[in-house]
Amino acid sequence: MSTIAVPIAFQTRLAQTELEKGLRLMWRRRSLVVAATIVYGLTYLGISLFIGGGHLVKELMVRTLPAMLAVLVASTAAVEGTAGISEEINGGTLEQTRLSPARAEVQALGRMTALGIEGLAVAVVVGIVFVLGVGLDITPHPAALIPAALTILDALGYGLIMTALVVRVASIGAISHVGNMAIMAFGGMLVPVSVFPHGLEIFARFIPTTLGVESINTTLAGHGLGATWSDGTLPWLMVHTAVVLIAGFTLYAINIRHAQREGGLSPR
Amino acid sequence: MNTAIALRNEIGKGLRFAWSERLQILIEMPMFAVFVILLGPLLGQGENLASGQVDWSLNSQTTTAMVLWFTPFIFFYMQVVKLFWRLLGEIQAGTLEQVFLSPLPPWLVAAAGRVAAAFLETLFVAAATYGMVSVFVSIHLHWTPAALLPAFAIMIAAIGLSLIIAGATLVYKRIQIVNDGVLMMVMIFSASALPLIHVPGWWAAISHAFPLTDGVGSLYNVMIAHGSVTQAWGVGGLVPLLTVSTAYLLAGIGTFIVGERVAKNRGTLGRY
Repeated sequence: MSTIAVPIAFQTRLAQTELEKGLRLMWRRRSLVVAATIVYGLTYLGISLFIGGGHLVKELMVRTLPAMLAVLVASTAAVEGTAGISEEINGGTLEQTRLSPARAEVQALGRMTALGIEGLAVAVVVGIVFVLGVGLDITPHPAALIPAALTILDALGYGLIMTALVVRVASIGAISHVGNMAIMAFGGMLVPVSVFPHGLEIFARFIPTTLGVESINTTLAGHGLGATWSDGTLPWLMVHTAVVLIAGFTLYAINIRHAQREGGLSPR
Repeated sequence: MNTAIALRNEIGKGLRFAWSERLQILIEMPMFAVFVILLGPLLGQGENLASGQVDWSLNSQTTTAMVLWFTPFIFFYMQVVKLFWRLLGEIQAGTLEQVFLSPLPPWLVAAAGRVAAAFLETLFVAAATYGMVSVFVSIHLHWTPAALLPAFAIMIAAIGLSLIIAGATLVYKRIQIVNDGVLMMVMIFSASALPLIHVPGWWAAISHAFPLTDGVGSLYNVMIAHGSVTQAWGVGGLVPLLTVSTAYLLAGIGTFIVGERVAKNRGTLGRY
């Protein structure tokens, strides 16, 4: 199979176009983004009341809120990523995108960046509302930005894996639901993973965003990046993020190539 | 006669769809059991958790109540989520217009095509959840035919909610995040019907507006508290149970009809 060499400037332009398309689509359904923000906020409030036995335990929420925000980014990437690609397959427009000489990974990069911005926007609003509304004692610390950025990349990598699976598996709904529920249950949103039994704690660290949330919590507690590096959380987070991102991009490229070969880019 | 044939065909189609999604259901199966086992020891433990102390043992009474709480939610999940995805797929593929060729009202085609499949899927997943949780702790439920009444009311309410979501889908299309969020709230607020945690007054008050709360309350009265299913008032009382379920069904039919008219006027039934 012959490939066309495309200059890097064109590849960059294509990724930028996908990003702009994603942001325009988000703006078109802004009312749904606002509704989702409210619903997610209420869900977290409900779960916190649930765990707190009918009242909010602020000391606990300080440690679970970062996980909630990570869940928002991850589930936005997974749900909107899968929905977007299945919409294009069912609508027959995914085939058109492959008329471009650019690599599939470049398109995926643009799409996931747009979803990252959407997820982050929702997470920032929910975070501010809880910190100010409930009066959570969270002091923003510049050191937290590094694990936060890695957590976002980790979440987007997970979303990309789910998106890539849609290209191969027609009905992905259940898999992304189970994935999102797993992040919710084991990612530190219900309780910090450090209180899990040892075996469960190890299992939880393989779940996307868990290591990132642990690392963020360490830095927000004022221990600095050195502490999260020396306890092994930050290095493992870097490894986890790299593996998930590489797996996501590779799987997406493989599945797009397979679909092109088997005629799976249009409705099945 | 034609109506019966059309209904039977839709139910048959729904069951064939469900069979084609058997792998999905197998994947979803452990999700509910894991949640019951994980959430059980955490309920109301906020203060202990903040200090890093948790007793991870499962209490039989609490776990029984949680299984009772999750089982009707599984039906809600199967009915609402899968009806949404099916409808969205038909909208995107452009086959939804064909539904309007049926002699049945479109809302009935949409609901009937899903409900039998959702019922069978729920039986399977709920039985698996019961089995998995029973390995860890014994579950004590009082099996009685009286439980069929709240079970029926729960099904009616779930059909109503699924039609509300379906009606919104006809207009707004990709509403899956809202859909997931609404289901999560339905689950959380229905917990006020069970003696699992002490909920604030405002929570208990608004929880009655959610479609699952009184259904779960009625099931609890009959299958755990050995109460009467005909008790008129209170959480799970016959009056709120039937009122809320009927209201959701009517609201669902109404929303679906409105959504369908909007989509027809915009010409978006057969074009995405």
